[in-house]
Amino acid sequence: MSYEGLVTRSIAFAVDAAVINLIAIAVGAVVALAISVLSVPDWLETALVAVGGAAYLLWSIGYFTTFWSTTGQTPGDRLMQIRVCRADGERLSAGRSVLRLIGLTLAAIPLFAGFLPILFDNRRRGLHDMLAGTVVVASASPAQTPAPA
Amino acid sequence: MPLPITSVTIWVMRPAATAITAVQRRVEDAMLGAVEDAVERAIAKGLVERIVEQLLREGIVERTVDRIFDERRVVDELAKRLIESEALWVLVDEIAQSPAVTEAITRQSVGFVDQVAGEVRQRSRSADARLERAARRALRRPV
Repeated sequence: MSYEGLVTRSIAFAVDAAVINLIAIAVGAVVALAISVLSVPDWLETALVAVGGAAYLLWSIGYFTTFWSTTGQTPGDRLMQIRVCRADGERLSAGRSVLRLIGLTLAAIPLFAGFLPILFDNRRRGLHDMLAGTVVVASASPAQTPAPA
Repeated sequence: MPLPITSVTIWVMRPAATAITAVQRRVEDAMLGAVEDAVERAIAKGLVERIVEQLLREGIVERTVDRIFDERRVVDELAKRLIESEALWVLVDEIAQSPAVTEAITRQSVGFVDQVAGEVRQRSRSADARLERAARRALRRPV
C-alpha cells in the first residue's frame, strides 16, 4: 500500500482550493452584480456579506465532506491519483469527513505545524489523519489494512 | 456617264470578298469536323489513355508539375487565389467542425492534460521522497 506524501497532497489541496475559490468568485460576482443594480440599505448589505461568508464556509465544508465521504477523492485528489480512506481501507462517513476537515483547520493554525508529522509518520499521517483515523493512499493501489505506525 | 473608278472597284470586290468568306467558312467547318472525327476515333481506340500512360511513364507529367512548382510566381498566384476564394474557407469551416476533427482535437487535448498531470505526479512523488529523507536526516531518524 502506497501512502502519499506532503508535496503530492499539497498540490491536490491547492487544486481543490482553486476550484472552490473560482466557483465562489464566479457566484459572488454574479450575486454582487445583481445586487449592484438594486438600491439596498446598508444594514442589508452587511447582512448579505455575512450570508455570503456563511455560504462560502458551507460550500467549502460541503465540497470536502461530500467528496471524501462518497468517492474518497476530491477533484484535486483525482488529478494526483490519491484517495482518502479510513485506516482499514474503508470509505469515510460524513461525520468522519467533517472531523477530518476540523483537524485540517487545526493543523493549519500553528503555522501548518500540524502537517509536519506527514514527513515522519510511517503511514504519512498528519494531525487531521490521526484525529479522524484516516490515511491517504495512491488511488490505483487496493485498500489494505496498513501496518501499525 | 462613265463610272467612277471607286464604284467599279466596289462592284467587283464585294462579290469576291463574299465568296472568299464563304469558302473560308466551308474550309473551317470541314477542318473542324475532321479534327472532331479524329479526336473521337483517338478516344475510341484508347489513344488518349496510351498517351497519358506514356507521359506518366516517361515522367513528363512529374517534370511539368515540378516546373510549375519551381515557377514561384505560379504557386504564389495559386495560393493567393485559394486564400481569396470563399469556397476554401467554407471548406475549412466544414472540416474544422467535422466530428472526426473535433474528436481528434479533444483526444489530443485530453492526452496532453494527462501527460502534464502524469509528469506533475511523478515529480511530486520524488519531491516527497527527497523532503522526507531531508527531514529524517535533520532529526537523525533512520532514513
